[in-house]
Amino acid sequence: MPVTKVLTAGIGEVDLRDFKVYRDRGGYKQWERAVRELQPAQVLELADRSGLRGRGGAGFPTGKKWSFLPNDSKPRYLVCNCDEAEPGTFKDHMLLEQAPHLVLEGILLGAYGIASHHAFIYIRGEFKRGFEIFSKALDEARAAGLLGKNIFGTGYDLEVTVHRGAGAYICGEETGLLNSLEGKRGEPRLKPPFPAIAGLYGMPTVVNNVETLAYLVPILEKGAEWFAAVGTERSKGYKIISISGHVRKPGNYEVALGTTVRELIEIAGGLREGRTLMAVQPGGGSSACIFEEHLDWPYDYESMAKAGSMLGSGAFVVFDDTTDFVKCAFNLVRFFAHESCGQCTPCREGGHWLETVLHRFVEGRGLRSDLEMIRRVSSTITGLNLCALGDSIEPFLKSVINRFPEQFEARIDARSLHQNGSTAMAASAQ
Amino acid sequence: MQSFETLYERLRPECERLIAQYEHPRSALLPIVHLFQQHEGYASREAMRATAEMLELTPAVVESTVSFYSLFFRKPVGRYVLQVCRGLSCTINGAEEIMAYFREKLGIGHLQTTADGLFSYEEVECLAACDRPTCMQVNLEFFYDLTPAAIDEMIEAMRGGAFSVAPIAQTRPPESTWAIKQDDQVATGRKSPGATDVARPNNAGGLGDASGVIMLDRFVNKEIAFSERSNERLVRDSRAVYDVLEDGEQHAGH
Repeated sequence: MPVTKVLTAGIGEVDLRDFKVYRDRGGYKQWERAVRELQPAQVLELADRSGLRGRGGAGFPTGKKWSFLPNDSKPRYLVCNCDEAEPGTFKDHMLLEQAPHLVLEGILLGAYGIASHHAFIYIRGEFKRGFEIFSKALDEARAAGLLGKNIFGTGYDLEVTVHRGAGAYICGEETGLLNSLEGKRGEPRLKPPFPAIAGLYGMPTVVNNVETLAYLVPILEKGAEWFAAVGTERSKGYKIISISGHVRKPGNYEVALGTTVRELIEIAGGLREGRTLMAVQPGGGSSACIFEEHLDWPYDYESMAKAGSMLGSGAFVVFDDTTDFVKCAFNLVRFFAHESCGQCTPCREGGHWLETVLHRFVEGRGLRSDLEMIRRVSSTITGLNLCALGDSIEPFLKSVINRFPEQFEARIDARSLHQNGSTAMAASAQ
Repeated sequence: MQSFETLYERLRPECERLIAQYEHPRSALLPIVHLFQQHEGYASREAMRATAEMLELTPAVVESTVSFYSLFFRKPVGRYVLQVCRGLSCTINGAEEIMAYFREKLGIGHLQTTADGLFSYEEVECLAACDRPTCMQVNLEFFYDLTPAAIDEMIEAMRGGAFSVAPIAQTRPPESTWAIKQDDQVATGRKSPGATDVARPNNAGGLGDASGVIMLDRFVNKEIAFSERSNERLVRDSRAVYDVLEDGEQHAGH
């Protein structure tokens, strides 16, 4: 089986929350080596050469993101994004609770890589336990002199602050996160300027996902070439895939990018007895479905994009033939409508209307004209908003309507079938 | 019961410590409100005012910010806040049955609190524990793989005061819901308030168009003119409604 334990090594076997256990396994050695022996530019160069791409959803090359920071004397910040809330994703939750020291070491390395003296971790409000576990880990590391003033006597200062959100999916969007971290409503900002130029408190800022930063630790230990040696041409290294839905052994599995979709389903125990595959949502709630014909495609950023979907955060939801896709579409649209911050009209209103229309389908009161309307409304939302939330409404909806139109047609109110649009509406309002 | 002033005095040093963590004091807004909510059970007006005072903001700015976040309760809640996941992975693995069981067992619905002030119930978005559906949080502690039997046991333990998770502080008795009036949108998932004095806010379709279909079609399909709507239906609905719509047509230039 192609599962490779890199970040997940030791999880479920030993208590990595224990500072001593983590240190005995070689923990914080890379941090010490980086501060003592390497220049920040060398850490950046390693990250760049490894081909590591953002593991939070957008897949932007990490080294490149860091290199956008202007070369000036302004304070700069590293923010670790642990506001994991993409439907189907549960990897950061696991890392935070099971391997807090690894997460911290990654943050320290990332901060050093951009020569920052103050790093933040933004933890989702619901992860209260994770927040406590991480805060304890941070206190232990601080007591051991791993952060603070004049680390290892090198003159380098670095402080890390833990910040807990309070329930808002949109704070996982990097500029929404920065606003929330500044004590404001978590509404995304207009870009440009990008955070690298004007981020937290208007200063150059890098926002990286938990998993992205954590991979810096093995990359420093084993080298950029080791990481770049696995994966596909433009999708290098390993990735934790959160597999859930209709599989026998849902869970987090760490694999090399480029593992096939079929292999991933098998890793998670395969489908239940006697069931057949209908679809897979390969990159969280924001992604379109892929189908049977993509089973032997490699799971990497490019292939998923080519299949009309995306790899996203690595949330891999499997649907078998018991699935009611009308309900699933309603569920995800309701999610985005609920989580829209409300700044942009297409997302705020469009999401709400789609939810209303899809709710009719769930109740078997859909109108003949609705399917065409859903297509038009959803395409009217995409691309017209400040952030990607609005754009996330359409992909899943569109992919399942196109693939399983019979499931939607079966929910059309028979009374509306022989009427034109306007009288059909009157019928539905009765 | 202690007064808010006493609590404020007591928490002040902790608030100062939180503020000192950041280059800009306002960043401590969420942590400070979390702290007050932990002690009061909810984010009270007094707490928001105190936060505003410490951060040199207006109370309105603090309240606006607090209202953005679903984990801040602006009204008291029950001793146990039960938040059941309605995310996609849980839903396709039986979450609907679990939610129906909770509703029936507790006799309350989404965003409601039981009359005895013991339970508050909410159906929340994906909790990032999709490998063990259906999952939930009780006062933000995770519970996984829910079954009716496990729920019975859980509720029993809470009623008997022997549950593994500490109850929420309750400085004031809760009402039937903690959603605030202008926050009906939160309960229904709607974001814009729409008209304020109609039965269903955000009903952009206006009178006689409860589902908003007509409005939406006007918006999307320009060719379906307002006047093409069924006149019989409008007459049937009521003369008053008809008059209103006639006015509307004139304004729309038909």
